[in-house]
Formats: sequence, structure tokens, C-alpha cells
Amino acid sequence: MECCARRLLGAALGVGWRYGKWTADHDLPVGASERAAIGERVNAGDVLAAGSALGTAIRVRGAKRLGLEPDDVLRVLRVTIGAELTAGTVVARTGRRFARAVSAPIDGRLLHLGSDGDLYFAPIVGRWVVRGALDGMVTRSDDAAVTVEGTAWCLEGIAAYGPDAIGELSLGVDSPKEDLAPMRLDVRLGGRIMLGGARVSAEAITRAHACGISGLIAGAANASGLRVVYGEDVTARGAPARGDRPTVLCVLGSGTATLPREIFDPFGVLAGSRAAIHTASARLFVFAPPDAVEIPRVAETVALAADYGSVRAFPGACEPAGEATFASEVHAPAVRCAGELFPRTNVRTTLAEA
Amino acid sequence: MTISAAPEAPVEVRLASERPLKVAIFHGRDPRSRASAARAALGAGAEIVETVGSDDARSFAELAQALRDAGPNVVLASARSAKDADGIRESLEALRFGCATRQPPPRVIALAEPKLAERIRTAVRPFPFDAFVDAALVIGSLRSLRQRADPEATLRDQLLEDAARSLAESAASDALVVDVSEAMTSCALARAAVRAMGIGLGVAADRVVARAGIDRVRRWLPWPMDTPALLERVFNRARWLGAVPASEVALAIEMALAREAIGLALREASDAGLSIAAMRAAPNVLVTGRAAAFPRAAQTLVVALDGLQPTGIVNLWREPDDGRAERVALVAPVTTRRSATLRLAHAAGREEQRVARGTIVVAPLRGIVEISGAVRGFGDAGALGIVIDVRGRPIALPHRDAERLPALGRWNAALGVFSGPR
Repeated sequence: MECCARRLLGAALGVGWRYGKWTADHDLPVGASERAAIGERVNAGDVLAAGSALGTAIRVRGAKRLGLEPDDVLRVLRVTIGAELTAGTVVARTGRRFARAVSAPIDGRLLHLGSDGDLYFAPIVGRWVVRGALDGMVTRSDDAAVTVEGTAWCLEGIAAYGPDAIGELSLGVDSPKEDLAPMRLDVRLGGRIMLGGARVSAEAITRAHACGISGLIAGAANASGLRVVYGEDVTARGAPARGDRPTVLCVLGSGTATLPREIFDPFGVLAGSRAAIHTASARLFVFAPPDAVEIPRVAETVALAADYGSVRAFPGACEPAGEATFASEVHAPAVRCAGELFPRTNVRTTLAEA
Repeated sequence: MTISAAPEAPVEVRLASERPLKVAIFHGRDPRSRASAARAALGAGAEIVETVGSDDARSFAELAQALRDAGPNVVLASARSAKDADGIRESLEALRFGCATRQPPPRVIALAEPKLAERIRTAVRPFPFDAFVDAALVIGSLRSLRQRADPEATLRDQLLEDAARSLAESAASDALVVDVSEAMTSCALARAAVRAMGIGLGVAADRVVARAGIDRVRRWLPWPMDTPALLERVFNRARWLGAVPASEVALAIEMALAREAIGLALREASDAGLSIAAMRAAPNVLVTGRAAAFPRAAQTLVVALDGLQPTGIVNLWREPDDGRAERVALVAPVTTRRSATLRLAHAAGREEQRVARGTIVVAPLRGIVEISGAVRGFGDAGALGIVIDVRGRPIALPHRDAERLPALGRWNAALGVFSGPR
């Protein structure tokens, strides 16, 4: 009966703990100079790719200076495209007695060979590295992205902000209803990924970052706080970023969202394990044995509050309640959760149900 | 989905799934080249993710990074001169550098004379390339790319344009269809259309806020709500596909988002060189999508009035996705310095309405009504009657909550937008 009643609820929310095989895509900035090879085994935190931040590029006549067709320039290049060069290095040369040559105009990298045979050089103004967020094997590696496939415990959230984070999983709250108090964060927690309960504020995010805490996980984050930290154009979809910025994973929504027991309780068991937040997919990976946690088979129900102000978890089953007219005068199929009516589309189950 | 131009003739169609087609626009120095490309992209329902002028100040690597991050499916290169084409060739090198390994590779479509298109073609390899002289052909090409997964299905925007045309035909005057749904907003005039992808009152609500600003959304709320509280509600709505507003607060937020979504679509149309004056002057307006599915017809009416800000007499209709078309009201916008008088002639007699500036007045009449006086026109009064909007154009909302909230409350009360004072 419960099963049939649950089928009447909205779709699965897509959050909840699962152990399985996952892939993590890591988009690379332009200017990659080294990458992990396909088939290589990597751990979360390992450098997957490294490259250089590039300054203003200089375009040098290639085909015209060498007296070649554009398609033939590649054949006469003496260095590979992407190579780091010093000024004056001969890049391409043709002819014997009356030689024609192109040399690097600056210290930097040979970036690109244009369609008209011109060569683009750019100075190196910085370095970057991209680290993995999953233990596993590299399945794709090219200039645009490196993909790692591996097995881990995973909690899928709805949005993540900031760069990927790697660290030891730690509890910052004692109950799922608690908000993460900034005063609980200090430098002794540096390098960890902290669980922040129902809500994290902008103050907690910035203090955690200042204390060297790798990342924060919470049921919800204060939306205005996210704008303060990540900029005015931040959206509910998340904002994966590079560089020195805080990392936040929102599991259920914005505002306040008490984590269901099904999601909160495993944190207690998994605390102390190595973990990583992959912000592009809004996932927390925890590297623990498959039998480390027992996940309840029946999922909990989460509902969007009538005024959209929060996401609420209900431990019990919700019952279908036919059609109902709500305070907004909207007439829609309804379900009853803990004595309260919700539109059916505003009620979803956590992943174990799916 | 059912869309019809009249309540008697609904048409059932299968809609194509709405996967956004991301377009980057490369244009020359001539602003007309940017506008014509933007018109084609908006007309085809593509999402413009990057705009690169031939005088773009970004460095080669920055531009390549921006294009890689944007991940366009199509690059629309619009050139009007050889200089434009040369500038576009340089931008295409950044595309080749940034997106060379992208799968599937972005398709480059040139909107240019054949000679200029040939100039661009050489810089496009290894990306697929098409060239068109006519913007209408570009729209067709972009639409076929959107339909590629399911060629038999109909695109929503095509349906809206058909609806606008048939409404214009049956009314023998111009018609505009305003469609606000979860993640897109369209304004389809019988002869031109703009479709703003990624703007809506549902899963794209957060993008309306990001583009229009939270304060522009907040100004339409008839009850006090601080910015952080509104932002959290918008973010939650954006993460919850198909959510239903169960409270009046949630409904008011969706209505505010719908108004701004329409405003943003019109601004995009204006930026692309389309005449929004023609849209605002259309004598027939059909509202569809989520904006047409609000519980009360007055809610759809107020969203259309505030978002579109029509300038002429409007026969307003609404048609939700799963319902039939309904005549909502005959709207008469009046611009006056102090007050004005309107004479309304209808089947039961004649009457005079004296209206003051800054108000909305509803005359609960039925059937065909002829309006004369400050404005002239006629039409069917619909379910709500004659709505005389004397707020002026553009609608000026007071900045301070203490002045704005009572004004919104008065307008809402006049139209019966909400059940009662809170």
C-alpha cells in the first residue's frame, strides 16, 4: 500500500546516499600543457592536468613568411604546438641556401596554428593545476577535459558553488536541524569538509574559507549569502569556479532545509573518511568501503514549502489526498504529509525510493 | 499542448522537447550585423550564450576561454563588409583554439553575402559550415537543429507563431501571443517573433533575477518581503521543476517573475532591432503557458498589463496549456495628466467613466463595447469587462515600499487579483 501511495508522489528528488560507479568530468582551462593519460589510476586530490595562464597573444605570419600553403606549415614546424619557448627559438624553417624561418617573438608558448598558417604566441602569466575529485581511472583526457571513473559513496546535491574540494569529512553540527555556527569553525579544522546542518550563512562560508576549511555541505545555503560570496550573477544552478574561493554543496535547496535522517545519519558513520566535493556535478564523494553504511530501503519525503521559503523533510509516508484547492486558489492533485496538504508536484522522494 | 486562436477551434499537437540550442554571435563593427544575427537567433528560439564583436577587447586566450565555457552549439557569424569578415575570421581562430576538441563540434552559420561567406569559410575548418544570405533561412536552419532529435514534433514557438497568425486573421488586425512558461518567454507577433530562452517563471526564475535584478522582481510584490527572503524563494522555485504555488505569496512571486520575464523578452527584442512598439500596440493579445494558468483571469491580465504595457486598446485572451481559450478583458490604456472621460456604448445602453491618473478602473460590462473619448476603439469585453488603465506609460512604480505597496494594493483590489487584503 505504501509503495502504491508513494508512486502517486512527485518524481524522485535525486538526492540521497548511494555506493556505486561514478564519473567526474573536469573541464580544463585553455593552455593545458600536461594531462593524466587515459587508463592512468588517480586518487582524489591528484593533479590531473597542469597548464599556464596566458597573456595577450601575438600573431606571427607563418605560411606567408615560409612561402608555404597554410596546410603545409604543420609539416615544417620544429616544435609542437603548445610548447614552451624562449624568444628567438626557431619554430619553423624552410629552404636550404635561401632559408626562410619563423622564430618565437617572446618567451612563452606557441599556442595555435591558424587556418591561414599564422602562428599565435602568448606569454605565460601564471600556472594552474586541476585536481581530481574521485579515486579511479582516467577515461577521457584531451585539451578540453579529463574524466575520471571510479567507485565511491556519493551524495548528490542540487547545487554546488566554488572549486572542487578534497579533505576529511567532519561533522560541524550535532543535529540535522542545526545551523552551522561560524564560531564552531577554526583553523584546527583546516583541510576538512564540514557538514553544516540545515543552513549555512555567508559568515560561515567566509570564515570557513579563511580558516582553510576545504568545503561545506548543508541542507541549504543562504541565497543572499551566496551572492555576497560568489557575485551577483550567481544562480540556483550552482557556480563551479576555479581559484581560491570557498566551496559549498547545497543538498536540498535554498534558505533552510533540514536534512532527512536518511541523509544525515550516514555522515556520522562516514566522518573521518576521505571525501571530495565535485562542484560541476554537485556531488560529494566519500571514499569508504561499500559496507561502511547501511542506507534505509525506504526513502523519506521532501516537500517544497507553500511559500517556496524552505524545503521540508517528512520521516513518515505521505498519503494521496485527491484534488484540493490551496490558499492560492490553485486546484491541483494533493498529498497529505504529517497532516499538511501539499500539491503533488511539490512533494518528492529521496533517491532510495527511486 | 493545445493552442487555438478561438475557443471553438482547439488544435492538439505533440511538442518537441525543449533542449536549448546555444548560439554564439560573431559580428562585425556595424551594429546592424549584430542586430540581424540576434534577430535570427531570437526568432529561432536559440539561447545567445556569447556575443563577440570584431572589436572585442578580450585577448585571444580570454576569448577562447569564454567560448569554451559558453559551449555554443552554433556560431552565427554575421558580416556586412570584408572588414567585418576579417574580424570574424580572427574570432573564429579563438573558437578553433578553445573548442577544437568539443564533441559534437559547433556548427558555424554565416549570415552574409556569398563572397563574404567564402572569406569566412576558410577560417572555419574543422567545424561544419553553412552560409545564408537571408535571415529567414538562418531561422529555418536553427529550428531544424533544435528539431533534429524529433523531426516529427512541433516546436512551441512555431505553434505560437501559428496562433498569432490565425488570431490576426480571424480578428482582421494585428495579434501578439505572449507565452511565459517554466524556462522560456516568447512574444510572437503575427509577423515577427522573439523567444527569450532561459527566462521564465519556473526553473529559469533565478536567471530572470540574475538578468533583471532582484529589486525589479521585488517591486511587483504587493506585500512586504525583504530581498534575501525573496531570493531564497526564487532559488527554491528554480530548483523545483513544475512546482505549483500553494500560497498567495508563492503565486505573487511567480506573477512578479512573469512580468519581468516579459519585460526582458521585450528588451532583447529591442536590442535585436525588433519593433516593440508594434508589439505594445497589437490590438489582440493572447497569453499562453504558465502565465495563462494562474487561477484568476485577473492575475493573467495584470501580468500582461505590467509586463507588456500595451499602448492601444487590447482584446486580451488567455489559453493555458491544458485548457481552452478565454476572452479575459478589453483593456483601454489611457495616458492623461490629471483625469479623463471615456464613453462606453454597449448593448444595454451608454455610460460615462471619469478616470483619474494613476488608477485602474474596471467597468463590468459584457459583449461588444465601443469606447470613445480619451481613447477610441471597440471590442468584446470578455470575462472581466472593460479595464481602463490610467497608470501611464511606462508604468512608474514608486521606489519606497510605503508608497508602492498601497499603489499595488489599490490596482490589485480594482482588478480583484487576490482574494482579499492580507
